[in-house]
Amino acid sequence: MVKYLFKRLLRGLISVLIVVAIVMILIYSLMNRDLVFSMDTVLSKQNNNAKVTYKYAQWERFGYLDYVPYADYINELFEDGEIDAETRDNVVKFGRKAKNDSDVVAEYVAKFTEYYESRGYEVIRLDAVMQGKKKVANGGQQALFATKDKTLLNRLGTYFKNLVSVDNIHYVDEDLDIGKRGLTFTWRDPAYGGEKFSPAIMGNGTKYKYLVYFDSKFPFFHQNLITINLGVSYSVNMGVDVFDTMTKSQGSYVQRDVVYPSGVEEFSADDLHSATYMKDSREANSLNKKYYVDDYTNVITFKNGRSKLGYSFILGIISSALAYFIGVPVGIVMARRKDKLFDHIGTVYIVFIIAVPSLAYIFLVKAIGYGIGLPTVFDLESQSKLMYLLPIVSLSLPSIASLMRWLRRYMIDQMNSDYVKFARSGGLSENEIFTKHILKNAIIPIVHGIPGTILFAMTGAIITERVYVVPGAGNLLTKAINAYDNSVIVGVVLFYAILSVISVILGDILMSIVDPRISFTSKAR
Amino acid sequence: MAENLVNLDDLGMTEEELFQTQSHDNVESEKITAPRYSYWRSVFRVFFKRKLNIVILVLLLVIIIFAYIYPSFSGFDRYANIMDSSTKHLTPAAAIKLYGFNIHNILGRGGSGESTFDSMWDGARISISLALICAAINMTIGVLIGAVWGFSKKVDMVMMEVYNIVGNVPYILVISVLVLIFSPSFWTMVFAMTVTGWLAIAYFIRTQVIIIRDREYNLASKCLGTSTVKIALKNILPFMTSVIVTLLASEIPSYISSEVFLSYIGMGMSEITLGKLIFKAEGAMLTPGWQFEFWSPVAIASIITIVLYVAGQSLGDASDPRTHM
Repeated sequence: MVKYLFKRLLRGLISVLIVVAIVMILIYSLMNRDLVFSMDTVLSKQNNNAKVTYKYAQWERFGYLDYVPYADYINELFEDGEIDAETRDNVVKFGRKAKNDSDVVAEYVAKFTEYYESRGYEVIRLDAVMQGKKKVANGGQQALFATKDKTLLNRLGTYFKNLVSVDNIHYVDEDLDIGKRGLTFTWRDPAYGGEKFSPAIMGNGTKYKYLVYFDSKFPFFHQNLITINLGVSYSVNMGVDVFDTMTKSQGSYVQRDVVYPSGVEEFSADDLHSATYMKDSREANSLNKKYYVDDYTNVITFKNGRSKLGYSFILGIISSALAYFIGVPVGIVMARRKDKLFDHIGTVYIVFIIAVPSLAYIFLVKAIGYGIGLPTVFDLESQSKLMYLLPIVSLSLPSIASLMRWLRRYMIDQMNSDYVKFARSGGLSENEIFTKHILKNAIIPIVHGIPGTILFAMTGAIITERVYVVPGAGNLLTKAINAYDNSVIVGVVLFYAILSVISVILGDILMSIVDPRISFTSKAR
Repeated sequence: MAENLVNLDDLGMTEEELFQTQSHDNVESEKITAPRYSYWRSVFRVFFKRKLNIVILVLLLVIIIFAYIYPSFSGFDRYANIMDSSTKHLTPAAAIKLYGFNIHNILGRGGSGESTFDSMWDGARISISLALICAAINMTIGVLIGAVWGFSKKVDMVMMEVYNIVGNVPYILVISVLVLIFSPSFWTMVFAMTVTGWLAIAYFIRTQVIIIRDREYNLASKCLGTSTVKIALKNILPFMTSVIVTLLASEIPSYISSEVFLSYIGMGMSEITLGKLIFKAEGAMLTPGWQFEFWSPVAIASIITIVLYVAGQSLGDASDPRTHM
C-alpha cells in the first residue's frame, strides 16, 4: 500500500513538473514579451537607448533572460580583485561609438564581448543618440550589455531549486560581523517581554530572527524555518512572493503594546515574530536604532483580516459542508421517491443549475439578498458575519445540485442490484435497505471527492469572489493573467496542480477505508 | 380413449375459429421476421409523444428565428444613437413614450442609446454560433479519439497521462494565452475552446466504451469472428447514440456559460456577445431604472441554455432504444 502510494505520488509530481513546464512554454515562449509593458507607466517616460535597456532590465526581472550590463562585468572584475579601483574607473566609461574607445577600454570591451559570446550570450552595443553636435539626447546614453534568453530547462531547474528554502545561520553575508552566529532556545519569548512562558527558537545569522514560536493566532505554533518560494510577484503584489500574497493577513492595522528588543515599549502594530535581517538598517534609520539591538528590523504588521487563502477557505469549507448536509439527504429522498413530485422538483432544480450560466444565478442570489437587506459586498472593516451569507449560498447552490444529481443516479443504479432484491425478500424494511445497504454502496464515489472539495476550497471561486468583492485567492490567477505577472501565474498553477495530485491520492485512500473491497495492492486481491 | 373424442360439429364453431391444416414449406420456415422497426422513426415517435417536448421545440424555433433572422430585419446599429444623450438608459416605459410602441423598445434602451431587445438578440446570435461550432468540433474529435482510447490499451496508457497533465493546466490560462497570441476574435475563441476541450469528452466516451466493450455479447461476437471495426460500428455505436446525444445536450449550454464566464472576467472576444453584454451592464444591476439592460441578457442566456439542455436531454432519452417499447 505504502509503496503503491509512493509510486502514485512520484508520478503525480512528474505530471506537476510537466504542467509547470507547459505553463512556462505558454507564457514565456508563446506570448509576445512586449505585452508585459502594457500596464507599465514607466516605459512611456523612457526614450532612445534608455528605453531599450529598461526593457531588458525588466525582462530580467520577469525571468525572460539574463542581462549583464558592461558596468556590472567591470565591477565584478574589481570585486574579484582582477583589476584595481583606478583601472575600474578608467575602463567603466566607454565611448559614444566603438571607434571613440580608448585603447584600454577597447581591450576590456573586447574581453567582455569574448567572455559572454563564448557563453552563448548576445552582446549588444548601442551608440549614443545625439541631439545636435555635442549634446546627448534625452535617454540617448551609449549602452553595452550582454543578454541571453533563458532556456526552458534552465528556468525549470532554477524554479524548482528555489522552491523550498531552509533558513540557516549562514544566510547573512559571512563577511559581516553580527556577533556569534547560532540558534538559541528560550522558554520565555522576549517578544512578550521575557516573562510569559512561551518557548521559541531564535537565530542569529539566519534570515528570520524567530524560527519557531507560539502565539495566540491559529494554529498557535508557527515556524519560519522552511519557506516556500512560489515566485516573486511583479505587478499583482509588487516584490512579494506568491505564497506570502496568499497567506499574509489583510485589512487594517491592529495595534497593541509591543516591547521592542531595546526595551522600549510602544503601542504599535509591528509583529516582532516576523523580523527578518536587513543589512545596515540600524545605521540607516534612527527609529530602528531606537527600537532594535540588532539588524533584524524588517517586520510586518498585525492586521485584523484573514489572508486571501483564509477567506477563500472559510467560504469554501462552509459552503461545501452545507452542500453535503443538504445535497446528500435530498439526493437520498429523491432516489426513494423516484418519479414522484419530490423527485420532479429536485430535477427541475438540477436542470436549472446545470443549464443556467453560473453568473446568472449568482447575480440572482445577489439581487434577492439585496432585496431583503443583506450586505452584498464584502467589507474587511465590518464585524458583521452576515456578509459571509450570500457568497456561501452562491457557492453551495451548484455543489448541492451536483451532489443531488450524482447520489440519486448512483442510488437508482444500485436499486436494481441483486443484493437489494435479496434484502427485500429477506424482510428488511425499505428504510433499512436504503440507509444501511444502498447508501453505503452509492456513497463511495461521493466519498472519493471529499478531500478534493476540502483542498480546493482554498483556491477560491472566481466569479463568486468577484461579484461579492471577497478579498480571496480565487481572483489571483485571473489578475495575474491580466497583469502579465508571469511568476504569479506559474506559482498559482503549481499550487493548483499539487493540490489536485494530493486530493486524488487522498480520495483513493479515503475510498479504500470506506470500502474494504477496494485495495491498491494487487496481492490483496 | 375413444369416448373422450369430441365431434367438432357439436361445438358450433365457424371455420375460422378452428385449427386448420397448413402446408409445410421448408424455405418459408427458415425466415425469421419481427415487427418493422426503424430506429430514427421510433426516436421521433417517442420524442413527440411528450407535450413538453413540442413546447420546447417551438421555443427553440422562436429563439433561432430571433437570433438569426430577426437581426437582418431590425437594422440594428449599436452606435446609431451614441451622440444623443436623451436616448440613453431608458426604461421600457420611457422608451415607448419617446419612440412609440414597437418591438425594439419593449425592453428599453441601453448605455449607448441602443435598443436592449435588439442588442440582446445580436449578442445571442454570436453566443449560439460559438456554442454550436465548438460543440460540433469538440464532439467529433472527442468521440472519435475517445472510441480509439477505449479500445486500445496502449493508447489508454499514453492518453491517461496526457489527460492528467492537461487537466491540471487551468483552461482560463490556455484560453487567455491563445487570445493574447492571436487576436481576440471569434475564430480564436473557437480555437481556444477546442484545443483542449475535446479531451474531457474523449475521456467520458472512453469510460463508456470500456464499460460496454467487455460485455458478454461483445465477447461472443468477438469469438464468432466479428472484426473490431464491425464491433465498434454495429455493436457499440448504437449503444452510445443516446449517451452521445445526452452529452451533446449538456455540452452546448456549457459553451454559452463558459463564454459568459470568460467575458465577465475580461478574457472574452471583441465581438459583442451575451457575456460581454452582462459584463458591460453589471453596474446597471442595482441602478434604479437601468435593470433591464442587465437582466435581459442574463434572462435570455438562461432561457437559451435551458431550452437547448431540455431539448437535448429529451432527444437523448428518446434515442435510448429501451424507451421504444
